[in-house]
Amino acid sequence: MRPPIAPIPPRQSMYGIDPSLVKTRVSELPGMTSVTLSELFPDLPPVIYPGDGGIAAVRKRTEEALKGIDMSRIKPGDSVNICASHHGFTLLGGEPYAEMLRTIRDAIEERTGCTNIRLRAGVGLRFRETEEYIRRYKLDEYFKGKAAGVAPVDEGVAIETEIGTLYGIKKIYDADWIVHAHNSDVREVHFHRMVDRAVKPFGMSYARIETRSTYHQNLGPRAANFIARAIFDSPFVQDKFAFACFLTVAPHGILGVDADNDLYSLNERITGVGCRYYGKMMTLLGEIDDCIVALDFPCPVVYVFSAGVVYANFAGANTDLFDLESPLPAYTWYTESFYGRKGFPLLPEIPKLNPAVRMCVHNYAWTGYPSAFFSEHIPTVVVGSEQADLFNRDPQNLNYMKHSVLSESTESAMDFARKATGVDKVLIFDGAPGGINLSPPLRDFLLSRAPEVNRRVEEELFPKWLRQRGVFATSAAA
Amino acid sequence: MKLVDLMPVVDTGKCKGCKTCVRVCPVLAVKIEGKVAVVDLDRCRGCADCEQRCPEYAIAMVRRPEPVSVGVNVDELDYQRIRELCLKARFHPEQTVCYCTGTRADEVAGAILLGAKTPEDVSFMTGLRTGCKVECIEPVLRLLEAAGIHPEPVPDGWQWYGRTVTAWEIPEHVKQKYASRGFYFDEDIEILDRVVSAPLQGKE
Repeated sequence: MRPPIAPIPPRQSMYGIDPSLVKTRVSELPGMTSVTLSELFPDLPPVIYPGDGGIAAVRKRTEEALKGIDMSRIKPGDSVNICASHHGFTLLGGEPYAEMLRTIRDAIEERTGCTNIRLRAGVGLRFRETEEYIRRYKLDEYFKGKAAGVAPVDEGVAIETEIGTLYGIKKIYDADWIVHAHNSDVREVHFHRMVDRAVKPFGMSYARIETRSTYHQNLGPRAANFIARAIFDSPFVQDKFAFACFLTVAPHGILGVDADNDLYSLNERITGVGCRYYGKMMTLLGEIDDCIVALDFPCPVVYVFSAGVVYANFAGANTDLFDLESPLPAYTWYTESFYGRKGFPLLPEIPKLNPAVRMCVHNYAWTGYPSAFFSEHIPTVVVGSEQADLFNRDPQNLNYMKHSVLSESTESAMDFARKATGVDKVLIFDGAPGGINLSPPLRDFLLSRAPEVNRRVEEELFPKWLRQRGVFATSAAA
Repeated sequence: MKLVDLMPVVDTGKCKGCKTCVRVCPVLAVKIEGKVAVVDLDRCRGCADCEQRCPEYAIAMVRRPEPVSVGVNVDELDYQRIRELCLKARFHPEQTVCYCTGTRADEVAGAILLGAKTPEDVSFMTGLRTGCKVECIEPVLRLLEAAGIHPEPVPDGWQWYGRTVTAWEIPEHVKQKYASRGFYFDEDIEILDRVVSAPLQGKE
């Protein structure tokens, strides 16, 4: 039996328990195995990371990608903000994204003579998160004291758009030029629906609370990401936008680095990659009929990774997250808001959270994202009183433990889950690079279903998903 | 309904009186006195915004000796008026508008009927916007506007800047321009409208 893949280790953070308190990883339990994503889908393209080239491969590919970028508008006396987002630091341990940021800085200085190059790293709901990453990867030293985390409650700047005034974070835009440094991981596809994925941070991690609230409360589940396009297309942003540089990511690793002066061209390319490869993985995970989910990754509940996709995606895998004809995934904030006082959806067609998840064992996951909706609707066992205490102290999760039960250890939690559900398929969200840690019955199940899923995505779903987004297969594959 | 069981403690040795905490506090519970931050614990709703944004790391959140429960009991109010206000703002009364505290639109409407005139009043009365502090400002502004109230942002504050566009206000030419790019404006309006007019669950 194939041994488990080493999971991403616990990480010191104010949003999670001390790593020393994570006594056992779920993948360490007897009988666990793994499957690589290439075993499931042999046609997945090669990755540069993880790989033999190590982190140097990311620097090399970033340098190559930036060679084609026009930086002539940046003058030696100008200021440049390299705008980053917290999500990038959760990919494969975070070092690839940090290295891409460092390389962009070096390339700008070398090519333009500009030295006033700042890092502005946006966040979601954990306002200190990128401050932690900046320290962890020593980015403040690398950026010569000019690296800062920014949050959506920080001072704002009004941005006039074709749909009215929206608001950005002032520190994101307080330079002559901005560089959009991101990644193509689909991550919150339940929110952005892979529509303008590359543009999203302009409506999120670079944006103020008013803009984010507009996205999640004012527009609707499939129109929401237009907010990002409206801001990006504004004269205010266009006057400052220099270029974009992205890690291109697939579920099994980093494919390369893509850069462009035209963000929409880059967007078309990553839309293709995202729909094709993440689409296969999510469609396959949607085939699972019943399982126990184990959360075991240094991120909030919704953002823990397995097979390169986040738990929030799996919680909605009973619907096709890429199909825009389907208005509401089982989990988005719109869906969550449409549950009435008795705890049922207000409309009969609103899908419930993935019924395949029979129980969730929360072995290790962070606070800092409202997660009570999950414990309210999926039986949840939290491991360790320290973790329960942490959730009870989090203003975003005061109700999480009201719907969860507590277990003393990973072993007892998993034992309880198996006995209570009678289910032997276990899916572990621990970020295992390039694969999935899981139980043998689930491994067999996924291997048996993958070929048909591959065919269905290639022949039926992928062309449909591109068509719905107005993206042609040729530009998506460029 | 929110249980407020945390409170900030200021390390006066570290605090430099920069006012960041004053500018972000969603209930206006912080002021600067003698060049250091002072928190009015009777107003504080334990959101930790001050702790999370203090550039000096001078604020820590600790347990309150006596937790306080805050919220608006809509059962004690004229629910027909609450419902009308929610519908005017295009919310189903039972729609959750704050994901952290679970506050529903009817609670916000209830707070307005009880006299709330600003987002800060609403947060103080309901606890809304004291979890993540990010996602729920627009519903508050929409419900206040539906009640004929047009609050001004806090002078020199960063609490909020203004109401923004809703689905029903997207110009037709914008919808047409991007119709082939995957933005389903009218289809989403249809869903939102159906939710707004769905039957009540809690009042059946």
